[in-house]
Amino acid sequence: MLFFAPIEFINQLLLKFFSGDTINHFIWPFIQIGLVVTLVAGWVAYATYLERKISAFMQARLGPMRVGPWGLLQPIADGIKLLTKEDFIPEKADRWIFFFAPYIAVAAAFITFSVIPFGPDWAVITDVNIGLLFVLAVSSVGVLALILAGWSSNSKYSLLGALRSSAQMISYEVAMGLSLVGALMFARTLSLSGVVHAQQLDSVWFFVYQPLGFLIFLVSGIAENNRAPFDLPEAESELVAGFHTEYSGFRWSLFFMAEYAAMVIVSAVAVTVYLGGWYFPFVYRYTEANGYHNLYVIVSLLVFIFKLLAILYLYFWLRWTLPRFRYDQLMDIGWKWLIPSALINIVISALAIFIVQALNGWRGIKTIESLSSGLDLTPIGKALMIVMGLAGLGLTGLSLARINWRSRDFNLKNQRRNIRLVNVPSGKPAVAPIVPAASEG
Amino acid sequence: MTAAQGDVVQIGNRKSAIRNNNMPLVKVPKPKFMTKLRRFFMADLLQGLRLTLKYNIGAIIDKDSVAGKGIYTEQYPKVRPDVAPRFHGAPRLNMDPETHDTLCIACNLCAIACPEDCIDVLAMDVEITVAGKPRRKKVLDEFIFDTSRCMFCALCQEACPTSCLELTQDFELATYSRAGFVWNREMLEQGRETVKYTR
Amino acid sequence: MHQVEIATTQETLLDSPEMVLNMGPQHPSTHGVLRVILKLDGETVIDLDCDIGYLHRGMEKIAENRMYTMIAPYWDRLDYIAAVSNGLVWVETVEQMMNLPVPRRAHYLRTILTELNRIASHLLWLATHALDIGAVTVLLWALREREEILKIFERQFGARLTCHAWRVGGMPNDAYDGFTEDVQQFVNNFPTRLDEYETVLSENRIWLSRTVGIGVISADEAVAIGLSGPALRGSGVAWDIRKSRPYAAYAEMDFDIPLGENGDTYDRYLVRLEEMRQSRRIVNQALENLPDGPVNAKLPKIVKPPVGDYYHSIEGPKGEIGCYLVSDGTAQPWRVRVRPPSLINLQALKQLCLGHLVADVVAIIGTLDIVLGEIDR
Repeated sequence: MLFFAPIEFINQLLLKFFSGDTINHFIWPFIQIGLVVTLVAGWVAYATYLERKISAFMQARLGPMRVGPWGLLQPIADGIKLLTKEDFIPEKADRWIFFFAPYIAVAAAFITFSVIPFGPDWAVITDVNIGLLFVLAVSSVGVLALILAGWSSNSKYSLLGALRSSAQMISYEVAMGLSLVGALMFARTLSLSGVVHAQQLDSVWFFVYQPLGFLIFLVSGIAENNRAPFDLPEAESELVAGFHTEYSGFRWSLFFMAEYAAMVIVSAVAVTVYLGGWYFPFVYRYTEANGYHNLYVIVSLLVFIFKLLAILYLYFWLRWTLPRFRYDQLMDIGWKWLIPSALINIVISALAIFIVQALNGWRGIKTIESLSSGLDLTPIGKALMIVMGLAGLGLTGLSLARINWRSRDFNLKNQRRNIRLVNVPSGKPAVAPIVPAASEG
Repeated sequence: MTAAQGDVVQIGNRKSAIRNNNMPLVKVPKPKFMTKLRRFFMADLLQGLRLTLKYNIGAIIDKDSVAGKGIYTEQYPKVRPDVAPRFHGAPRLNMDPETHDTLCIACNLCAIACPEDCIDVLAMDVEITVAGKPRRKKVLDEFIFDTSRCMFCALCQEACPTSCLELTQDFELATYSRAGFVWNREMLEQGRETVKYTR
Repeated sequence: MHQVEIATTQETLLDSPEMVLNMGPQHPSTHGVLRVILKLDGETVIDLDCDIGYLHRGMEKIAENRMYTMIAPYWDRLDYIAAVSNGLVWVETVEQMMNLPVPRRAHYLRTILTELNRIASHLLWLATHALDIGAVTVLLWALREREEILKIFERQFGARLTCHAWRVGGMPNDAYDGFTEDVQQFVNNFPTRLDEYETVLSENRIWLSRTVGIGVISADEAVAIGLSGPALRGSGVAWDIRKSRPYAAYAEMDFDIPLGENGDTYDRYLVRLEEMRQSRRIVNQALENLPDGPVNAKLPKIVKPPVGDYYHSIEGPKGEIGCYLVSDGTAQPWRVRVRPPSLINLQALKQLCLGHLVADVVAIIGTLDIVLGEIDR
């Protein structure tokens, strides 16, 4: 393709100076890393723009309109403003930790991008065979940044925010990790590209098999990213700005970037594991099969980005609709609902796979095509799996609802009918207020 | 009798505050099965999400079922607001449209009516001839209006017997200095030079 | 009763001391310059104190040095969210002291506009309360409706917030052309909007779990503290000055008083929402029966109430706002005393907050609907 001719040319040029191995393992990854870092930074900036626009539309406003056409240059203006603002460090702060905490946050967020498969072939920087584990491990380093930031600021609001965020992120990480196990049973690999390939091979997105796991992952992902309705660590109406209350200027913007980058990562993982990643039906057949390899990669990349945007829209949508949970209620959801249901999900998924495997060959029913890479099921096997996935969702919901049936979650009343309207005779000089019988007892 | 919430009591050698760990509970009528079912299927959250989605789409196509238009933002410097005729904005001293003399008769009523004492009327006596006889007449020399202290209550406007002092629709009163808030007669009569931003 | 003990002194490393958290005066959700000092065990509030006075402007003292007509604009600055209602207290106190016969049309217009002001005030309360609990979108929706009311105020009074709406003896101007249509349009559109807020909030489990059972105050305690307005009615006490001592044209209006059952934040929320509906009902009735005629009574050149004292109060959006006026027969009052509903409602804060979490303190400050201009005067 014409578009890739310069790349081929550069490749030829590089071959004159370096060996093929150096180019493949050193120089191209560098170029990819550079591209990803710039693109992600730009993307983060425009994610803020997107959020501001979407929230504005939900609130019957216009959002940023002044910088550039439809405010398109607003993120750049914001960036310049933040870079040139005073970098203020409180006098009694622990200077070095205060200094470095934002870098930890941003590094933890950006390193994770190295294993995210944005597309097939050259659109992924590196395909580690423990990719998912790597994502979970590195993204949880981000908590450290929040704790350090909150603690080093030497401010009570920051400290409270840091405590909340550590408790929240630790407890939700459990649910998040557990929820992924179900999907991994189908993929039979931890490599993120491998997960996508497994879905491509099976031509079914895993959220169909794993509706419960997908839901748990989404909810705990939102909580993990400290986004509303779980944005307690930075609940602006309670803790001013939570862990980054004392931060300003560039350092604050690093936290901001880390938050949005983490959001993109969680969405990317959700897309990769549950929504088929860059896989979309028919794309392969019309591009790669006809020999258009690079077109295949680019279309897949676009597919990935569209799926990512859909998840991000969900993030924005929830944030601008729902009120904020309280700290104890958040823990309730995490420990009473998400973690048990994640555990149940593992059991149910394992059982489902066991049943499908056991049924294979029983009275001539064929459920499994092959087990070479991931689980390749026949239509009957797929149908069985989907039914069992939905049944698992219902079963888990019902059993947890039964357990929690008497809890506050369900028994907060629908109070509308309890507001009484009284028509007091007017004009009577009331000396004592009329206290109705309600106050008794 | 148990210690009440917030009481400080001595336990052993430790001073402790006793508090009721249970939040004051409210009487909750037994929820109906349907209510619980709605909560199980998250109908309460979904209906809110539906409404915000409706707003989002309504904003994009600029339609709303009640108000007609989906977006309410007033693009202020670009689109200037339609200020009501009664608006109490920047003060102005009106002039006779034909003779271009001031309508002010230096009666000082506005200065008396002002709760904030932000009006100063300085008058001078001039000799005029009325019907061939020399008379002395009080005319306006200088009029000082301190807009930084003004509450825009319009009591001065109501006190003015000749409809000279008027609060106009001009609402852009910001200046770069405190001195800029003190308006003299020339500014009150001619109006200020303001930059009207349109983009 | 389940009780836990909390250490207040640190003897071993295991007894962690409490944390004193200073909330305000520059805090996003103390609704102005209120300073709340919280003593926290973890995040549980075990003690609380309020520090007020950051907005003190000496309103009552200023009033002693102004003529009766000049004091009215200052009253707008007490509770600047409900400037129209506040202005009415002052004007009516002077009128009733002087026995001025205010024309019927003026009374009706006053009723309409103060009720609109009540709606505007409650909308701002809803907006900020929802914001405190985290539902940001409701803020902008509610402000949009409030904007419609402020537009009516701008056309009628010439100002949007501190309107200086009334004059002793009536109104500065008659209703502007198109007043009825504007109000009618607002009144027609408003119920749909209220339903929208309710769709997002009233049944929402997060909203419920943040408000139900939070800040409970019983009817007896509420009366003992002296709460008034929706904060009192949320506890189930039918006390509304519009009913018990009608002013303006309220005696001729037919409306209900919404009463809560439990006296928690959610009840107060519902009471205020229902009050907005009732206000709309009053506006509708007043518009239908709006009489013709003058809007101003005949006034002496200088307003001089007779020697004596007088107390008059009206049902403001926040509660009973009253004015105690002592006249020595001159053109300036001898003493003016404001009965500020926000100040007295704020006294319940400690009782409501103890044992709750920091997040609830914010919700409770929101539900009391305080305005610092009125508290500090």
